[in-house]
Formats: sequence, structure tokens, C-alpha cells
Amino acid sequence: MEKRGVFVLKEIRIRFSKTGRAKFISHLDLMRTMTRAVRRASIPVWYTEGFNRHPYLKFAAPLSLGFEGKDESMDIRLINDMPAEDIEDRLNQVLPDGLIVHHVGEPVMKLRDIAFARYLMRFKDNNNHLSEFIKEQNIIAKKRTKKGLVREIELSPFLNKAEIHDCNDNELCLILPCGGETINPALVVTAYEEYVEQCQGEHIKVFCDITRLALLNSDGNSFV
Amino acid sequence: MAYNLDELLRMVQKPARYTGGELNSVVKNKENIGVRFAFCFPDLYEVGMSHLGMKILYSLLNKQPNVFCERVFMPDTDMEELMRQNSIRLFGLESRDAIDTFDFVGFTFQYELSYTAALNMLDLAGLPIRAANRDSSHPLVIAGGPCVCNPEPIADFFDIFVLGEGEEVILELIRLYNSHKEKGYDKTAFLHQAAHIEGVYVPSLYHVEYNNDGTIANIKPRGEAPATIRKRIIGDLDTVYYPESFVVPFIDIVHDRAMSEIFRGCIRGCRFCQAGFIYRPVREKSPEVINAQSRSLCKSTGYEEFSLSSLSTSDYTKLESLLPMLLEWAQEQNTNISLPSLRIDGFSEELAAKLNVLRRSGLTFAPEAGSQRLRDSINKNLTDNDILETANKAFTAGWTAVKLYFMIGLPTETFDDVAEIISLSQKIVDRYYKNPNRQKGKGVNVSVSVSSFVPKPFTPFQWEPQDTMEMLEQKQTHLRSLLTTKKISLHWHDASTSFLEGILARGDRRLGDVIEGVFKRGCKRDAWSEHFNLQVWLDALDEFGLDPSFYANRRRSFDEILPWDHLDYGVTKKFLIKENECAHNNVTTPNCRQACSGCGAARWKKGVCLS
Repeated sequence: MEKRGVFVLKEIRIRFSKTGRAKFISHLDLMRTMTRAVRRASIPVWYTEGFNRHPYLKFAAPLSLGFEGKDESMDIRLINDMPAEDIEDRLNQVLPDGLIVHHVGEPVMKLRDIAFARYLMRFKDNNNHLSEFIKEQNIIAKKRTKKGLVREIELSPFLNKAEIHDCNDNELCLILPCGGETINPALVVTAYEEYVEQCQGEHIKVFCDITRLALLNSDGNSFV
Repeated sequence: MAYNLDELLRMVQKPARYTGGELNSVVKNKENIGVRFAFCFPDLYEVGMSHLGMKILYSLLNKQPNVFCERVFMPDTDMEELMRQNSIRLFGLESRDAIDTFDFVGFTFQYELSYTAALNMLDLAGLPIRAANRDSSHPLVIAGGPCVCNPEPIADFFDIFVLGEGEEVILELIRLYNSHKEKGYDKTAFLHQAAHIEGVYVPSLYHVEYNNDGTIANIKPRGEAPATIRKRIIGDLDTVYYPESFVVPFIDIVHDRAMSEIFRGCIRGCRFCQAGFIYRPVREKSPEVINAQSRSLCKSTGYEEFSLSSLSTSDYTKLESLLPMLLEWAQEQNTNISLPSLRIDGFSEELAAKLNVLRRSGLTFAPEAGSQRLRDSINKNLTDNDILETANKAFTAGWTAVKLYFMIGLPTETFDDVAEIISLSQKIVDRYYKNPNRQKGKGVNVSVSVSSFVPKPFTPFQWEPQDTMEMLEQKQTHLRSLLTTKKISLHWHDASTSFLEGILARGDRRLGDVIEGVFKRGCKRDAWSEHFNLQVWLDALDEFGLDPSFYANRRRSFDEILPWDHLDYGVTKKFLIKENECAHNNVTTPNCRQACSGCGAARWKKGVCLS
């Protein structure tokens, strides 16, 4: 793979799930975990050339602490070729519980193509307001910006398109913007808590298991 | 409504402290397990997970098919509050089972200020904190680590203390426990028998009587318990168990790297240093074994850095042959080697060159005292010239930052000795600017860290009064007043924590009530400065009629019975007295390789004592 005296690096996309105990690995910690996994697996990855050399890893949209992810994505660069199945097997042998690689291949889309993400939200809630909640027109989320300001975001357009699971009233499947102007589904949970408070007159903490099912491009196709 | 653990984890900072499931953590099928062991570190996950002793014993215990060892750490305040509100007892990270049903609950004590954290952990586990209130239905609560060389202040809370190195004795203890379990375990019967294992101290089998002045009249064993309890040591470090893998944490911990132990003990005999006496004699691991172990650790963890662990890296006699072996594969794998505890006088140009190949880690020296007179007195055999020459070499090699560690409050110290901390630091700054080969265009930074001396058991200074807080604070003020340049940055430790350490380090059993008392008044995290509150301790001491200065600031006579006199760490009292007298006469003692000074550790006929 040598050309003009320099290595041509082969870009590889690794898609994996992050479930169970692994949902409590933060994004920063996930990067460290993956760095070490790549080292344990002896995958011939390219190291950055700086003072602090480390394997080059590039993650698609970070996943919030506490969320599960079914189809997360991480790019590496190879300095020597290695078959995709090999990379998958080697990584799966050395990854901690809850992290499983399910696809390795050359990237098709660019990271900046990510525009949405599809989430499954399982509400642990006996209040049964979910079906009304998603039909409401004026659900507003308050998002704190980096400058500490609060910005109001209209959630209703996304909620109105959400689906409630056929056999379970508390399961919501919805698509939210991701990548550029990201809306974190935790904002939906907060908005729902406020909604329940309005309906019942008391604040009830609502737990919600959140799983990111897929990253999507602007056409709604899965990120590959 | 009570929340479950999964829900709690979403409400706390750094939930990965409590989830377990890290790579290389061991989860066993509980069906086939005879002994469940909770290895407790009385501090946060990030601190405990950095501790090598815990990694060794965790792996060793889990290597036994019959034993399941789990890790337990002190939860942070947010988690503790939620656990108490929701009736979740302290659990093992591996199984998430509450530890009050385990067979053993074992603590390691690396510092005295973690005592109350251990009581809090017992309480969070739903266990009675006093050993006398736990019967055969409770786990055995045991402890080890350097602090248990004087475990008397916490004697009321523990069933067993394990003295010295744990690899062999812990298995002997478990074997005995298993045999008792087979015929029907009875705690009292077990403890009586366990007391006969070398290194096992059962505090309830000893009775302490006091004189009217508060000193000890006698320490008497009950029944058949041995009169003195001798620490355990490992004879051969090449064959002793060492883990092939470490648990790799998700979150960033204090020392997040692989560690290879290169030797135990220290040849130096610096008179203030407890580790230099209680781990004698020096025993080295061979370079081949270290190389193989380092390599397998890096392979199994994926760590990008490993360090060589010992009390004084440059005293390892085969460093020059070890480093090339390590470098050969470490460079190829982009793995950094770090060499902590590198002593000033062992720092050769060659070594500097070899280190230079690797990432430039900080250059750290520990002169401990500013003046030559005081360095002689504490037996830190090191001259101004050694320090300056070494620093100069480091500057030539490209270093621009030097870290210096000093102590104040050492026995015989005067304000002039204290002032020399600053003058020595200034000399280092001057040497930098005189060095024509220094890194161009960069200033020098000499970081000076000044801690307060705490006299410790089993050192020649065990009889010495500790400086009062007022004296320590005066010396700190003096240091600050002498500082005239920004090239030197000065850091000092809070004198009040050193004072409490001084009380606990040489305390007796009467402090048990005090420790329980402060715990009940909310002291649980004394080792964390933001939670430390000396006044609560002083009030409790007062309540039980005890005088803090009796423990910290009093000179003991050589013939006083010390609270730890029934414990035997190898070094004899005769030797420590001789060393104390040398200190007062500013006379140094040669290190173990130059000449044997007859400390008593030669009785084991191991390591450096053989040559």
C-alpha cells in the first residue's frame, strides 16, 4: 500500500452496538476503551504523528451517557491491509461486555452526511399521557446553549411523526435531528415530565430507557 | 418509591465507577464458589483502582477455583445518599450482590485518613462496625496494608489484621476458613486457630492495660495466642504470583497504566520513611521476569503506558539491562515506559539518554530536606552537588521543569534548615540559566512541594514529637516569605491533616471510640480535603478524655511500651534506637548494599541480606 513513499491509509468503518452495562461508558471513556481495544487486537492502525501518539479513531455523533446504541460508528485507518472479518473477530474477542462489533467495511457516506437519528424510548411510566403528548402542537424543549443561554426548540413536529409501539403503550419510536442541530431525546423526557405535571398537577420523575437505533442521512437512509 | 440500581446510576456522576463489567474483570458462576471475598478499598474507585496491591490480590484470589473476589470502593456522596435513601446495600462490582453475605470483607489501609471511610463502608453494607458485634453469621472483616503495622486505633473494628505481604498468608487463611466451614464454622474457634498462622494478628486476643499517665503498661495475649506477631514476606519475587492482566477501567483513574513491580523493600533507610523499614529486606525480580510480565500486561490490557513500580527505581541493580529489553518491543508498539521514584544520585547520563527516546515525563527529585545537615540527620545520603549536577544533566538533555519534594517538621529541624529549601531551589534555577546547552527560548519551572512530617511506627523517628500545627504553619509562612521568583512555585500541605495523621499513626486502642464517634458525627471522607474537619476529631478526643498532643506532639522514651510493640516487622528496636541516636548526631548510615547495619531483617535470609 505504498505510493510516493508514503503509506496510503485505508479508511475503515466499524459499526458496533453499545448496550447493557456499556451504556454507562461516556463518550470520552469510549474513545479510550476503543483505543485500547484496537491495541489489544493488534489491528495495524495508523497512529497520529503528534507529541502524544495515539491510534486515529473518529466517532460519528457522540452518544449520551446512559443511552444504548444499536448501530454506532467509528472510523479507523489501516496502515496494512486486514480482512474485514478479521478486524471484526479480533475486536469482538477483546471488547468488554456490552460492546459488540457487527459490521466492518469501507465507509460509504461521509460523517457530515448524518442528519438524523432514530431512537426507541421506553418510558417507565404509569401515567398514560404518552399518546396525547405526541399529538400536542406546542411542546417546547428548553435547550441550554454553550453560552449558558436557554433556547426554545419546537419538539412537536418530530413528536407528531413519532410512533407508539403497537403492543406497548410506553414505547415511542421517533426521529430527531442529529449531527448538525442535534436534539437530544433527553429533552423529550423533560418535556414529557412537564406535560405530565400540567395534567396531574404534581411533578413525577419519569425514567426512560433510550436506545439510538440508527444514524440516518438527510434522506432517512441508515448511515453506512 | 424506591429506585433500583440501574435508575440510580442515571442520577449520579461517573456511573461507570459502580457498574463493573470492565475488561478483564472476573465474574464467576456463584454456584461453584466456596468463598466469596469483597476486596474493599476505602476510597473512590479512581484511587483504589490505581493500587497495585489490590490488582495482585484480586487476580490471585480469582485464580483459586473455589474463591470469587470482587472489588468494592467507597461511593461518592451523591451515590451514597441515593443508596441510603433507596436501601441499596454496598455491593461487589462484579456480581452486584450486597457484601454482607460474603465470607470475607477485606480492606487495605494505605493511609490513616481512610479509617472512617472503612467504617462507612461497613455501615453501608449493613454490617455492625464493631468486631464484637459481629458473630458467625457475619463475614470476617479483615485488613492489611502499611497502616496495619500499627492497627491499634482500629483494633475494635476488625477481626483480623494481616501483617506484611499478603500473597501467601491470604490463601492460608482461606484454606483454614474452608476447613472450618466444612465442620461447621464458629467465628471464635476460627479466630483462635487463625492467630497461629504467621502474619495473622487477631486483635481481640490481646488485652492492653494502661498506666495512669496514658502510656501502655502491658499488652497480654489471651489463651494460646502468640506473644508477638511477625509480618510475612515473600522470599522469591520471580516465582511469586503476578497478574497477567489488570482490570481496565472505563473512566480515567489516578494511575491509568500497566505496572510492573521490579523489587520490594528499599536499601536506603531514610529515617523518616516507614516503607524503607517495614518492607525490608530488598528483594529484586529478575529483568527477564519483569520483561515477560510487562509484555503480557500490555498485551492483555492494551495500555499505552506502563510503569516500573518500586520504592526507588534507580536502585534496581539491573536497570541497564532491563531497559533495552523493554524498549525493544515498547517502541514498536507505541507504548511509553515511565520510571517513577527515580532517585537523584542514580540518574546517569546513559539513563537520561534512554529515557529521552520515550515521551518526556516529568523530572522529579526528593531531597526531602533543604540543608545538608538535615539531610544527613534523616539519612538522605545526597549532597547539594549531587542534586545540582543531576539537574544540570537533565537541563542539557532538554528538561525545563523540575519537581522537588521536601518535608518540614523533621526532627532537629531549625528555621535555617527550612530556609535552605528555597536556597537549594534557587540554586537549581541559577544552574539552568548558566547551562549553555539548555533548551533555548524556554524558562525553567522548579515546582517545590512541601509536606509536613508525620512520625511513623517502625522508623527511627517513632519516638519523636511531631511539630505542632502552629510550628508547621510558622515554617510554611517562613517559606513563603523567602520566595522571590516566579520560577519557583511553592505548594504545601494542610498542617491539620498531618496533625490527624500524626495522632492516628502512633495511636492506641483508646482511639477506637474516637474514630467511631467522629464517624457517627459524619466524618466519612477525611482523606478528601473538602470533607476534612479536624474540629470534629478534636471534640471527640475531648469527649473521651484524650489529649491529641499526647499522641502527636509528645516525645516518647526508648523504654516506653509502644502500642505496636507486640508486632514484629523484622527491624529490631535496638537498631531503631541506634538510628535515632545517629539522627541526633547528624551521622549517616550506609545503605544495605554498601554495608549491613544489622537492622534485623537478615533473619529471613532473603534478597540483599544474602549478598
